[in-house]
Amino acid sequence: NNSSQLSSLPLHILLYVNGIYYIFYFLATLAMIIYKSQVFSYPDDFLAPDLAVLLLMAILEVPRLYLGFKGNLTEAEAPLGLSLGLTVGSVVLCVYLLLWQTYVLWADVLLNALLLAAYALESGLKVTAIAAFVS
Amino acid sequence: PEDTRDAAQARARSAPAPVTDVAKLCVCDLLVAQCDVNCCCDPDCSADDFSLFTTCSVPVVTGDSRLCSQKAAVYSLDVEANPPERIFNLVDQVNPNIFCIHATNYKQALYLKSPEIPTPENFDRLLDEYGGATFSAEPDSWDLDAETENPPDANETYRYEYGVPVQTEDAFLRLPSPVVSSWCSDANPAGFLVNQATKCIRSVSVEKCDSIQALSMLFYINSSILAVSMIENSHKAEIVNITVQSIIFQSLNGMRTLLNSSDVLRLPMVLGELCINAVLGVNYHITYTDTGEIIEAAAAFVLGAISKEALSIEQSFEISFTQENTQPVPLSGNPGYVVGLPVRAGFRPQGYPFPAEFLFAPLALSSSKHSQLTILQSTSTQDCLAAQGARAPVLFGYNMISGCKLRITAAMKCQPLAQTLLDVLKGQSFPEYVASFGNSQAQDVLDWVPITQLHISEQVKSSCQIPVSLGIEVKWTKYGSLVNPQARIVNVTATITTTTLKQLPSGRERIIPVTSSVVFTDISSPAEPGYKAWPTINIKLPFDFFYPFV
Repeated sequence: NNSSQLSSLPLHILLYVNGIYYIFYFLATLAMIIYKSQVFSYPDDFLAPDLAVLLLMAILEVPRLYLGFKGNLTEAEAPLGLSLGLTVGSVVLCVYLLLWQTYVLWADVLLNALLLAAYALESGLKVTAIAAFVS
Repeated sequence: PEDTRDAAQARARSAPAPVTDVAKLCVCDLLVAQCDVNCCCDPDCSADDFSLFTTCSVPVVTGDSRLCSQKAAVYSLDVEANPPERIFNLVDQVNPNIFCIHATNYKQALYLKSPEIPTPENFDRLLDEYGGATFSAEPDSWDLDAETENPPDANETYRYEYGVPVQTEDAFLRLPSPVVSSWCSDANPAGFLVNQATKCIRSVSVEKCDSIQALSMLFYINSSILAVSMIENSHKAEIVNITVQSIIFQSLNGMRTLLNSSDVLRLPMVLGELCINAVLGVNYHITYTDTGEIIEAAAAFVLGAISKEALSIEQSFEISFTQENTQPVPLSGNPGYVVGLPVRAGFRPQGYPFPAEFLFAPLALSSSKHSQLTILQSTSTQDCLAAQGARAPVLFGYNMISGCKLRITAAMKCQPLAQTLLDVLKGQSFPEYVASFGNSQAQDVLDWVPITQLHISEQVKSSCQIPVSLGIEVKWTKYGSLVNPQARIVNVTATITTTTLKQLPSGRERIIPVTSSVVFTDISSPAEPGYKAWPTINIKLPFDFFYPFV
C-alpha cells in the first residue's frame, strides 16, 4: 500500500542513475584531464589541484550515495540528512570543476552541468523525503 | 615625483602587454606609416590604395582556433564593385568541436612566455647566465684532470679517432682560430684527422713584440704531442716532438723567400722601427699510422716583419694529416669533377708513346702548382709587368676573368714584350693535358684531354703582334647514369688573341688592357634513358625439318 510507504521511489531511481552516471563522469573527466595535459601547456602546480578535486569528489560520492540509499530505504532521516550535507560538498567541488578548472572544455561544461542538475533534483527529493519521514 | 618615478620604473620593468584584439592585429603591416601592398588589414591604407589591390594576403585574423567561440576579423576585397573596395567584418567564429576550450583560468595557456626583464635585483644572475660571448662549456673543462673521474685500466691506451683533440703533455695542440669575432683565440684544439685552415687577427705592439708569446716560433713548437690519446697519467705515452720543416721569410711588401737552413730557431726581436721574425703563419703537418698513432709532426713557419704603425697582424694557421708511407694526391672529384675543385692538368714527358710507369708529371702533394691549370690573378697594382707571378687555380665550374693593364712606352721592343706578355698570360708552365675525370690516374693515357691552342691575330701583316687576351674554354659533359651524372671534361681550348703594336712617337705612352678568362660550357646532350632490351625468341628450325618435301 503506497500510503504507508514513506520511501521515495523517484529518489531511489535518481540515486541509482546518479551512481552509474558518476562512474562515467569520473572516467570521462579523468581522461579529459590527461588529454589536456598532453595537448595544452599544463604545469604541475595547476594540474595537482584539479586532480585533487576530482579525487575528493569521487571519495565523497561513495558514502553520499550509500547514505542516501540507506536513509531512503530505512526511512531514517539521519543518514539522509548526512547525505544531504555531503551533497553540498559535492556541489561545491562540481562548481569548481565547472568554473575554476585550468582548462574548461565544452564537454566539461556539459558533464558538470548535468551532474549539478542531478544533484539539485536529488537534494529536492531528499528534502521532501526527510519532511515525509519526520512528520 | 617619487611615486611617478616608481610607476615609470614599474612600467619599464614589465614588458608591454600583448595585443589581443583581432581587429587591431595585422601581420602583413610591415612598413610604418606606409601602405603595404595587398595587406587588407593595414590601417595606413586609404580607400584609393584598396582599389589597387588584387587579393588580400591575410584574409582572416583569429586567436587560437581551439577556443569555442572567438572573434575573427575577416578582410576581403569586393572586386565586383568599381573601384574595388575592402570589406571588413568582425564575426564570431564558433568551433563546433566538443573538446573546444570554453574558458581558461591559466593566464599563459595560449600565449608565449614573456622573457625576464632585467632589474637591479636579478641583473647579476642574468649576467652570469647569459653575459658571455658563448654559453657553451669553457675550454678549461677539457683538462685531463676532469676526465680522471672515470679512470680506465692503466694498460689501456686509446688511439686517436676522428675529431678527438690532439693531446700534448699538458693540454692540447693549439690551433689559434677566430671565435665569435676575428681575434685569435688560443684555446682551440686541433682535432685528429680534421684538416683545418684558419685566419685570425692578433693585436701587437712593436715595442713589446719580443715578449708577446704568440709571435714567437717557440710558442708553437714547444709542446710535445702524445703519440696516442692517453687519459691515465701513470703510463707514459710516447712523445713526438714538433720539428721545424721550413721557414719562409715574408718581407713588408709581400715577397716570400725560403730559408735554406731551418734548424735555427729565430725569435722575434725589435730592429729599429720593425719587429722581425714575427710568426705570420704556421702550417702543421702530422703523420699518423693506420692504427691511429701519431708518429711525426712538423711545422712550416712564415716569419715576417711588423712595422711600427701596425696595431694588429693577421696570422694564418693550417693543419693537415697524412698517413705514413702514402703520398696523397688530391682528387678533384670521384669520378666526375666537383664544382669548386681545381682542374687537374699535367705534362707529357719526353719519350711518349713508350709506356712508362708514370706518364704524367702531376703526382705531387697538394701545394704543387704544376698539377693545376692556373690563370693570371689580378693584383691591386694592376700592372702586367710588375705582376709577381701570382696565379689563381682554375676551379671547375667557376667562370673566371682577370686582367691587368699594360703601359707601353716608345722604348719597348716588340719581341721581348710579346714573350713577357705570353708568360704573364700563360704562366711559367702551362700544361699540355687536362684530366677528363676528377680522379684520372696518370697511367691512363686516354683519360687525359689535350689542350688545343689557337691563335687569333688581327692582321696578317708581319708587324709586331703582342698577345692581349687568353681565353680558355672548357667543354664538359654529363657522363654516366641519369640519376647521378658525373662531370667530364671533353675539350679544352686555349685561345690567344694578338693585336698589332703600333710604334709610338717618343715620349708618348699607351695603356692597353690584358685579360684572361676561363669559361665552362656544358655540352651534354639530353639524356636518353636506356632500358634493357626485350628478350627475343630465337627459334631456328633444323636444316632438314621439312625433309622430304624440301
